[in-house]
Amino acid sequence: MRDYLLIYVNGRRYQVSGAQGFQSLSDFLRYDLGLVGTKVVCAEGDCGSCTVLVGRIGLPNSEGDSKLNYQSINSCIQYLYQLDCAHIITVEALKNKEQIHPIQQAMVDAMGSQCGYCTPGFVMSLAAMQEKEEVMTRKSVQDGLTGNLCRCTGYEQIIDAALNLDAKPVPSVTENFDEKTILSDFAVYLTQAVFCEFEENWNGVARKLKYFVPVSLAEAVSFQQKNDNVTVVAGGTDISVQINKERIEPDCIMSLVHLSELKSIFVDEQFVTVGARVSWSELGKFCQKNLPQLAEIIAIFASPQIKNCGTLAGNIANASPIADSLPFLYVIEAEVELTSPDGVRWLEINQFYQGYKKLAMNPDELITSIRWQMQDPDDLLKLYKVSKRKDLDISTFTAGIYIKMNNNKIQISRLAYGGVGPVVLRLPETEQFLYNKALTLETFLQAGKIAREEIQPISDVRSSADYRLQLAENILMKFYYECCKHQVKKA
Amino acid sequence: MKVVGKHIPHDSAVGHVTGEALFVDDLPSAKDELIVDFIASPVAHGKIIRFNFEELSQLDGIAGIFTHADLPGHNLFGPVIQDERFLAEDIVEYVGQPIAVIAGESRKAVRQAKKQLQLEIEELAPVFTIDEALAAKQFIGEARELKKGDFEKVWNEAEHKIAGTFLCNGQEQFYLESQAALAWRGENGEILVHSSSQNPTEIQEVVAEALGLGFHEVVCVCKRMGGGFGGKETQAVIPAVMAALVAAKTGRSARVAYTKDDDMRSTGKRHPYKIYYKAGFTGAGKITGVKFDIYSNGGAAADLSTAILERTLLHSDNSYFIPNLVFRAMICKTNFPPNTAFRGFGGPQGMANIENVLQEISIVLKKDALEVRRLNCYGHNDQNVTPYGQIVQNHMLPEIIDQLAETSSYKKRLTEVAEFNRKSVTHLRGLALTPLKFGISFTTSFLNQGNALVNVYKDGTVQVSTGGTEMGQGLNTKIRQLVAEEFAISYDDVRIMITSTEKNNNTSPTAASAGTDLNGMAAVNACQKIRRNLTEFASRYFSAPENGIVPSIEHIHFEAGSVYDDRLPENKLTFRKLVLQAYMGQVSLGERGFYKTPGVNLNRETGKGNPFFYFTSGAAVSEVLIDRFTGQLKLERSDILMDIGESINPGIDRGQIIGGFIQGVGWVTNEDLRYSDKGQLLSYSPTTYKIPNIQDLPDIFNLETLENPQHKINIRRSKAVGEPPLMLCLSVWMAVKHALSSVRNDITPRLNLPATAEEILQRLTELNGDLSNPETTAVRATESEVSLVSLPSISG
Repeated sequence: MRDYLLIYVNGRRYQVSGAQGFQSLSDFLRYDLGLVGTKVVCAEGDCGSCTVLVGRIGLPNSEGDSKLNYQSINSCIQYLYQLDCAHIITVEALKNKEQIHPIQQAMVDAMGSQCGYCTPGFVMSLAAMQEKEEVMTRKSVQDGLTGNLCRCTGYEQIIDAALNLDAKPVPSVTENFDEKTILSDFAVYLTQAVFCEFEENWNGVARKLKYFVPVSLAEAVSFQQKNDNVTVVAGGTDISVQINKERIEPDCIMSLVHLSELKSIFVDEQFVTVGARVSWSELGKFCQKNLPQLAEIIAIFASPQIKNCGTLAGNIANASPIADSLPFLYVIEAEVELTSPDGVRWLEINQFYQGYKKLAMNPDELITSIRWQMQDPDDLLKLYKVSKRKDLDISTFTAGIYIKMNNNKIQISRLAYGGVGPVVLRLPETEQFLYNKALTLETFLQAGKIAREEIQPISDVRSSADYRLQLAENILMKFYYECCKHQVKKA
Repeated sequence: MKVVGKHIPHDSAVGHVTGEALFVDDLPSAKDELIVDFIASPVAHGKIIRFNFEELSQLDGIAGIFTHADLPGHNLFGPVIQDERFLAEDIVEYVGQPIAVIAGESRKAVRQAKKQLQLEIEELAPVFTIDEALAAKQFIGEARELKKGDFEKVWNEAEHKIAGTFLCNGQEQFYLESQAALAWRGENGEILVHSSSQNPTEIQEVVAEALGLGFHEVVCVCKRMGGGFGGKETQAVIPAVMAALVAAKTGRSARVAYTKDDDMRSTGKRHPYKIYYKAGFTGAGKITGVKFDIYSNGGAAADLSTAILERTLLHSDNSYFIPNLVFRAMICKTNFPPNTAFRGFGGPQGMANIENVLQEISIVLKKDALEVRRLNCYGHNDQNVTPYGQIVQNHMLPEIIDQLAETSSYKKRLTEVAEFNRKSVTHLRGLALTPLKFGISFTTSFLNQGNALVNVYKDGTVQVSTGGTEMGQGLNTKIRQLVAEEFAISYDDVRIMITSTEKNNNTSPTAASAGTDLNGMAAVNACQKIRRNLTEFASRYFSAPENGIVPSIEHIHFEAGSVYDDRLPENKLTFRKLVLQAYMGQVSLGERGFYKTPGVNLNRETGKGNPFFYFTSGAAVSEVLIDRFTGQLKLERSDILMDIGESINPGIDRGQIIGGFIQGVGWVTNEDLRYSDKGQLLSYSPTTYKIPNIQDLPDIFNLETLENPQHKINIRRSKAVGEPPLMLCLSVWMAVKHALSSVRNDITPRLNLPATAEEILQRLTELNGDLSNPETTAVRATESEVSLVSLPSISG
């Protein structure tokens, strides 16, 4: 057990403990290290100005060698306890001697900056694309930079910069560092869990805080059992926002960053099983081949920086009625694996939520994986996400529609709507109505009217209740035109 | 070695990409620095009863809490009407209004202390909407009126008529760098403020007044802003005063940097407008007369609202000749943060309104909207007089429209869109071309002045300082180019220095798109003075009376880094050597330049005059795709054509055009300010307030500029380009209206601005429903049913 975090920043080694480890990376960079090139605008992961690269040890290759895999993250919503044994590269380290990096030069030449405040973030996102060896096309650049807002340029010149870059071989931004030393340092320390405890005194009131970074599931489960009010952090893309905005003040954090047991996707004949530490980026890649409907949602719902950190398990645990994965999980009737010292149990997702942010799990349980049955390719599955802005926006309304046909009649239908109540809702009456019906426009017109009656959405910052009601009705017609009409013609 | 007209990267580009370009909150902390924050009103309107500031000030790590009572000077300010308080006294008038300034040793200490706040406020009835303000008769400033011809007569005789209500929402500037200031107290109580401000002179003056100092005791500097867009023209004042107050009171350096949340909640935005319009027109679509009753939502204080409303009046014609008109306008006082400047400055709202009118005329007449727009467009020899009497001269509006229609295949695509809409049950398309004409100059004529300081050093390098501020628009780059060109030296030998009131006094804000026009001209004026000195010196230096070459300034040339007499061209000196010789010859190598725009004036009594030096113009054509079931919008293609004169830096101007257009697209589509019924902004961060992101660009995006040989004025025959392109976004908004108008042909669809998916779906649902049944004409129907007759009469 260690009582400090080990973090490299731009090739320099830092041991961080106590209160210093309980802060966001962006604060650490700007205030402790004076690396002010990293800008903070929103402190909630929605603008990308604070983007940096984080390198972690990847799985060994066939020769048994590991290397650091670099990804972009929002440094404002990654706390240091999530970054143990990670190498952070900031915009300051891209220069080689006095020579600016080709990515930087491309941005200069294409006039990709105006006020310059968002620019370091864009440079780092481009560097992350380069680390992933992405081919630069207009589309790939848009996807790679979805998480970076710019208010000045209108983006075109940034796209120009990226496209100009592609023509030349570009050295990796990681070449400025001695990776071997970092890797061997990490290899030693990654075997040890980290536990830090400290006290804060303010006006005579003492407050005890602690954070724990286990290296095995057994350690994690045991910590969860022995401590009250453990705030479990996987990707931290929501919890860190809540902390930044002072909506929560956790005093006991457990960071799952090192639990490699939970980092895999297993596929067998019956199930797809997704570990709780599988990031959205990894799941997205898997779905592109295996589950295009979910891949479509993953493509638009968040930025690369968020998807590199956030997890499906986190989305479930967060329990938002507009969580983007839930309509899918509801209609596919996924199961959640809950692990406690007493063992493991599986709970069907439709039974998992008991009310707004109220989960059917015990305090000593951890979500360790999610599984669902492989679907029959003939079944109809469609997922919808309506948001103000198409990309990187919290949903106004979501829907999952699953239909199994038999003899040209609907045999099974499952409908789940998000954003229309305190939890994601199945629509039993509409499902009942659809039973044994043919796939006709009239069926879905009527189903839409019934669906509308089954929900009581509220008006909020994202939309009025009326809009949500109308969507609840219309989405079934949209489904008809997109899936069924075609289906009927085929038959 | 021509420098002007070249594609030279932004002055600070390398600093931007390396993170070495510093913004206010990046400046190093002094050891004694205090972190400054503020206590904001939680209610929109109320009376402060009691608070525990005294108790908070005793908490660990808190250096002090200051209220209006601590200001040595006065607590009132305002760029036009002094009606705004730095710190609330008894009454709070908007959510987010600063009540007290809190200073602490650390961010954490300040945050902790704020949690201990006890603040009791007795809530008073708030006023939020324009309608509520009209009912309560709460206004700011005077009613304004602009009249021409006899509207009532042509209205009564009109072949066709439309009447309706235009409604648009505000827009958050969303500069990435939130408001920030850093203040130091120097010797003898002098104050130095680093401010992220478009208007250092105003910061200097207001800080001085608040602290009871002379203007000469305050210096304001601004290296750069992380975006401004108008939001830092006046509203950088409050954070600057906060920091300066703490520095003055404690003697310690003081830093304030708003969080994005606080910035969005407590600062003003683009004004929401409501305009009642009436238009009479012929069967061909020619406007015979319009009447616009214009109301802006000014928020709780005047700020720049009167100037903004004036620009609305002067842009309610956009590019169209209107023979008879009445424009009446008023600012409503409400319980929101004082609304303020935002790129376009009242122009966009006025122009959106008349574009909507023209679109509706085309719908009523079942004509192509482009034909109607073209018919009413300002001409060259006739129909070229604006409502305020200025003649639109040397413009290319008809040419721009025609050329753009041609290059964008408008006609062909219009047919394709109609065909698509007939066939598709799932989607709708819309296409629209809108022109823009934007007047360049401050309409407050005396602001059209600038000064500059140019210093030439002994090695032939040059430093330039102007009152202009750099917010990303490339002002510094252009000025460097202009100065290099004047001396015929390399761009690298010129540096633009930090903007400081110490070097340039009594400057106007960097606003009204006029930054380069005013400051560039002033810098050139200073260069010319130095050049005159150098030319005289050179003429003596090169003279050779023995060869009959007497000193003659007409023969001296500055060219490619050298200076020579054309009678002895082989005898040239490098600029550097000449400067050194001139220095030793005791010639002045530093000058101040001054410039005022000639001939601009506006008589506010009569509403007539020549308020603008010239017009920047252009047009855009946009095509949108709408999902019939969700109302979601995709911008598929935009083509832009602009007349920006002879560009000083085409790369920078391209960035201004694209950036402005996309910013406007945000305003007309997804940027949706939503408030609670208590007046709290709910969409106060990028999670809920959605500015365009990189995926929102049109798939096909073409941008061209055209030659305008008639434009012969302004610096190096360039034109201002900062604000105008924003209004190209109206093509997108009108494309949505065009799409809606294809749903049924017996009715003119309404469309509010922004056209969010929700707004569009609501309109579609109305159009698909039974319109004879008032129940189905949805929620906002009441808005447009306000009768014109019931309007309170406002007279100019």
